[in-house]
Amino acid sequence: MVNALVSGGIFAVSLGLIFSEKINRTIVTMAGASLMILLGSLLGFYTEENALQSIDWDTLGLLLGMMILVAMLEPTGFFQYMAVRASKLSGGEPVRLFLLLGSVTTVLSMFLDNVTTVVLIAPVTVLICEVMGLPPAPFLMAEALLSNTGGVATLVGDPPNVLIGSAANLTFLDFILHATPVVLFAWAGAVILLRILFRAELRARPINAETIQALNPAEAITDRRAAVRILIVIGVAILLFFLHGLLHVSPALVALSSAAAALVLVRPPVDDILRRVEWSVLLFFGALFVMVGGLERAGVLNLLVSVLEGGAGLPAPVFGVLLIWVVALISAVVDNVPITIALIPVIQGLGQAGMNPNPLWWALAFGAGFGGNGTIIGSSANIVVAALSEKNRSPITSALWNRRGLPVMLLTCLIASLIYYLAYPWFAD
Amino acid sequence: MIAIQECMKRHVFSIRASATIREAIQTLISHRIGLLPVVDDEMHPVGVVGLRDLLNLALPPVIHLLNDVDFIGNFGAVENFRPDPAVLERPVQTIMRPGTVVEASSGLLRSYALMLQHDLHDLPVVDAEHRLVGIASRVDIGTAILTSWVGEQAHG
Repeated sequence: MVNALVSGGIFAVSLGLIFSEKINRTIVTMAGASLMILLGSLLGFYTEENALQSIDWDTLGLLLGMMILVAMLEPTGFFQYMAVRASKLSGGEPVRLFLLLGSVTTVLSMFLDNVTTVVLIAPVTVLICEVMGLPPAPFLMAEALLSNTGGVATLVGDPPNVLIGSAANLTFLDFILHATPVVLFAWAGAVILLRILFRAELRARPINAETIQALNPAEAITDRRAAVRILIVIGVAILLFFLHGLLHVSPALVALSSAAAALVLVRPPVDDILRRVEWSVLLFFGALFVMVGGLERAGVLNLLVSVLEGGAGLPAPVFGVLLIWVVALISAVVDNVPITIALIPVIQGLGQAGMNPNPLWWALAFGAGFGGNGTIIGSSANIVVAALSEKNRSPITSALWNRRGLPVMLLTCLIASLIYYLAYPWFAD
Repeated sequence: MIAIQECMKRHVFSIRASATIREAIQTLISHRIGLLPVVDDEMHPVGVVGLRDLLNLALPPVIHLLNDVDFIGNFGAVENFRPDPAVLERPVQTIMRPGTVVEASSGLLRSYALMLQHDLHDLPVVDAEHRLVGIASRVDIGTAILTSWVGEQAHG
């Protein structure tokens, strides 16, 4: 009991500090993980060896490999090129601009990091809106919301999926077969809803529509040769992701060897590229794994499992839908990574206790992914566009997000719940 | 060694921190200069306000996040951006930034290196009591250095 209280206390205080945003989340989790090992060794429920074993190296490898690929693609100007190309294709028509920028962000987010995609595309969006004389807020919000939504579609689309895929041994193809169809419907629903919610803003005529003609996508590319090579490697990597289950290789190996191939083909200044890798994110994940490992060893998660088993009296599809909404509501206000990492052993525990864990994995993925759309702080992409809009004439406020983003979260969760409920046997498979 | 006091302009325009931004703009326009040292009652420099700080009031902040904007061939509506007139009535204090200054006895190459590293076009000069006594531009300093290499050339 003491063990459970100590480890639960360390985890709860760490989560509280992360959510208060007073101290950087990586610093908090590193301190928490150290404390967990120290007190765990003293009280005898956790050792350094246990801590090392609780780190999911597959997740870290996959994230690192994808981060290196994105870090190499960033400076080539490819992301800006896509934004400028999409804008030019719109011919200055706001609704078409909205659809094209939203689609580009979604597709890139399905395979590459959401935050990087938004960080690189959003400033270009703001500037293009400014020169055309359009308010950027609807476009920025659509980019963040659709990036979060698109990320749910694939194994590599967002961190919760990477975590779930690794823990549950779900392949890239499993995600294409189970998550992608749901995301297609949810995405279409989100686009239609956003189109309706922003109808007034999108009716505004651009003051300087002729500026669209003066956009020059080719100028956005700074290193065409490198961009082409990295894109080919990413294309091959996606192909290999489809086959990784058949080939019996881990997604981490695919990502890391693709990163190696891109490095060989482009031979960039490697220190510059490695500086762009988000080491703080990797450390945050690693430290969270260590903390949750402590929770597991101290028996906290078993307590949670036995509480949740009570819910097993519910019909299984209802329990899954409930999980989607609980995880979504939590993910709307807090970071979805700690929630996912903490719930993974709980779902594994429920599986050992006799429940079918397969449908629960999908419920967790949908809840964690779509939940991030709910509030202005629900996902990193939301925070990025909000911070960017603060500096211009039509800032995205928390109130605006509650009127335009929250409905998108509710609708996407509703669509996911409906499909989940109706096609339950497909997810239970 | 040649000191900066030998090439600086001794007649230096400055402004008080309590003056309005509009007054700073008018001073820059009427003397066609790019930088105004901000001084206190004893002529001690407390900061600078320059063209860059003022023009940033109209430039979309997102420009600073992009490495290049070559792909935007026409700035359209942005060309007509004007700062809010109320902003111009605020005190200079609200937009001034800490400025680099050098002592009058400072060498020319050291002064030039400072300008290069801090990306400055004008360098305010102070005396031993830290009072503003002059200002030197890149051209003032650069030509003074070049002159020391080849000597003063007679015109025409």
